[in-house]
Parts: sequence; structure tokens; C-alpha cells
Amino acid sequence: MAIHESDAEQINAVLTTFLGESGATEALLIDRSGQLLAMTGANRALDTVSISALAAGAFSSTGALAQLLGETEFTVLFHQGNKESMHVSTVDDQAILLAIFGERTTVGMVRLFAKEAATAIGQILAAARAKPTNRGALSEPLTAEESRTSLGEPKKP
Amino acid sequence: MAIINYAQKVINFKVVYYGPGVAGKTANLQHIHKSLPDTSKGNMISLAAGDDRTLFFDFLPVSATTVRGFTAKFQLYTVPGQVYYNMTRKLVLRGVDGLIFVADSQWDRLKENVESFRNLEENMREYNYNLDEMPYVIQYNKRDLANIAPIEYMEFMLNRRTRQVPYFEAVAVNGDGVFDTLNTVSRMVLVGEFGQEKGEHRETA
Repeated sequence: MAIHESDAEQINAVLTTFLGESGATEALLIDRSGQLLAMTGANRALDTVSISALAAGAFSSTGALAQLLGETEFTVLFHQGNKESMHVSTVDDQAILLAIFGERTTVGMVRLFAKEAATAIGQILAAARAKPTNRGALSEPLTAEESRTSLGEPKKP
Repeated sequence: MAIINYAQKVINFKVVYYGPGVAGKTANLQHIHKSLPDTSKGNMISLAAGDDRTLFFDFLPVSATTVRGFTAKFQLYTVPGQVYYNMTRKLVLRGVDGLIFVADSQWDRLKENVESFRNLEENMREYNYNLDEMPYVIQYNKRDLANIAPIEYMEFMLNRRTRQVPYFEAVAVNGDGVFDTLNTVSRMVLVGEFGQEKGEHRETA
């Protein structure tokens, strides 16, 4: 899928409102395959790439647990820490919303506003997916040189 | 599923190392993590059981190259190889863009390789992903051991779908073949997503 500048702006606006209303410190919109789609919040050095992969993994295994009980899925996953906690909830069948929050709010507040934010983001994502893909600079096929990724030097015998 | 973020100028891909237990999937990631400079890799996460066997997945994000102003990033995952972890194995496959099947070259592990490949085909079907359209390569690992099957035989057992894919011989614990495998599949993933100019060499064999 493609997230264009206009989609990113709309998503960030929703996430910023969500943070203001819920009192959470960070909000991460994550694709269920484990990739970070957007993030808003306190400017601190969080390893958001790892957080996204682990949260998507935890949420998907929670979903598998739900199915073992005959449920479609558990829509919320909550981890409580001493000072900080984490709330993960469903946005749609391809994305989840992760909120990190401290002692200045409660899980109830986060849950309430996460639900509202999820509805708004779900609509933005649905519209983004439905748009014809205008790839701009990426619309022309790659040259052989452009597709040559070298992640590391092959070991010489 | 490739995610192109025009706001951040980043393209994200998911590549999964698949294969039977103890074939060397984690060893591939460990070598990549050890070899790359900090600027082109993130933290490696291993969700392993007490005996170092992968329980859920290993995860390593790497940056590859810049394509027309976009940074191409590859998120590398391994699956747990043991037969009874199929549920978690299937979860890791979600949204995959490219696959590396790591086979154990030892004669007495041939059956496990074939079973794991069948399991991959089955799990792909359940997601409605088409293995014939998915960029993937096969890595024949542990080529330094004494009791290994010849490549021709392993090819006959594992690389016999309509489309034959590139294969690599490897000794992942020493790093032999690790980057050849990864560079090839990442190139295939890029070409699969964006296409390649006509007349150019395509590495889909």
C-alpha cells in the first residue's frame, strides 16, 4: 500500500487529537505485518521499528488465542507496567493502534479515545487503499543498477 | 505487503526465512547482524525458548539502498522451524514480500526439508498468497558437513515447481553464501514490486 503526504497529514492529525484527549504519550499506527505506518508523540528515542514488529506479533498471537476460544479476535491488548503501560487495539483488518501512556491517565480513557481514533483512521486508510496508485518517481520500471541492492559484501572464498 | 511511505520517503519490505528446525535461519540473521555497520541495521530481536530454539520469530531490520530518493528497508524475519509451532509460523508469514527457504543439506534431514516446504506451500495458500508469483530463493545450508546430499539431488527434491528459483550453497555459521542469498532475494523483491526495464537481466530464473 502507499501512504501519500496527504494521508500522512490526516493520520497525524487524528493521532495528535487522540493524544490530547486520552493523555497518552505516544501513538503508533502499525500494519499487522509488523511495519510502522505513522507515529505521533513525545520526542524520545524509542525503538519504534522493534516495538512495531513485537506489538504486531503479540497482537496476532492474541488473535490466534481468541480463535481457539471461538472468538473472531480480542480487539484490545493491554500491558501494564510500573510507570508506563501499553494499549493495543484494532483499527481494521490490516492495521492496529498502539498507545503508550503513563500515570497521568487511565486505561479507560485510552480505550475510550482509541476507539474513536480507530474509526477515523480506518476511514483514512480505506480511502488511501482505494485511491489509484500514483507512484510518482517510482512509476517507471527500475534499471538494473537501481534494483541492485548490496546489503553487504558476499564473503570471498 | 510493500508499504511505500511518500511522506517519509521510505519503502518497507518484509522478507521471511523459512525452513525446518535447526537448518540455520537464525544463523543467517546473526551473521547479517554481525557484519553490517550500525548505520544500516536496527536491533536484532530473538524470541527464543530456553534452548535457543526460535519460539516465535527473530527480527532484524536492515536498510539496503536508495531508489529514486526513497530508502528501501527490509525487515527480516525467521519462523520457528519445529513442526508443532505451525500456528506462530503462519502468523509470521502475514504480509510477506519475499522468502528465503533455508534447507539443511544433510542426508538425514531431507525429509524435514520436504515437509517444511510443503508446509510453506500450505500456509501460503491459507493466506491466498501465490508462491509462483512470490519472489523467493532457496539456500542449501551446512555445505561444510560430511554427510550432505549433492546439490542436484536437493534441487530435484525442493526446486521443482513450474518456476525454478535461484539457489545458493551456504555455510551460514561462517557467513558463506549469506549475503549472496539476501542480495538476490532483495533484488527480486524490488523488481517484483516496481518492474524492471525491458531488455534488462531479470533474476527470476
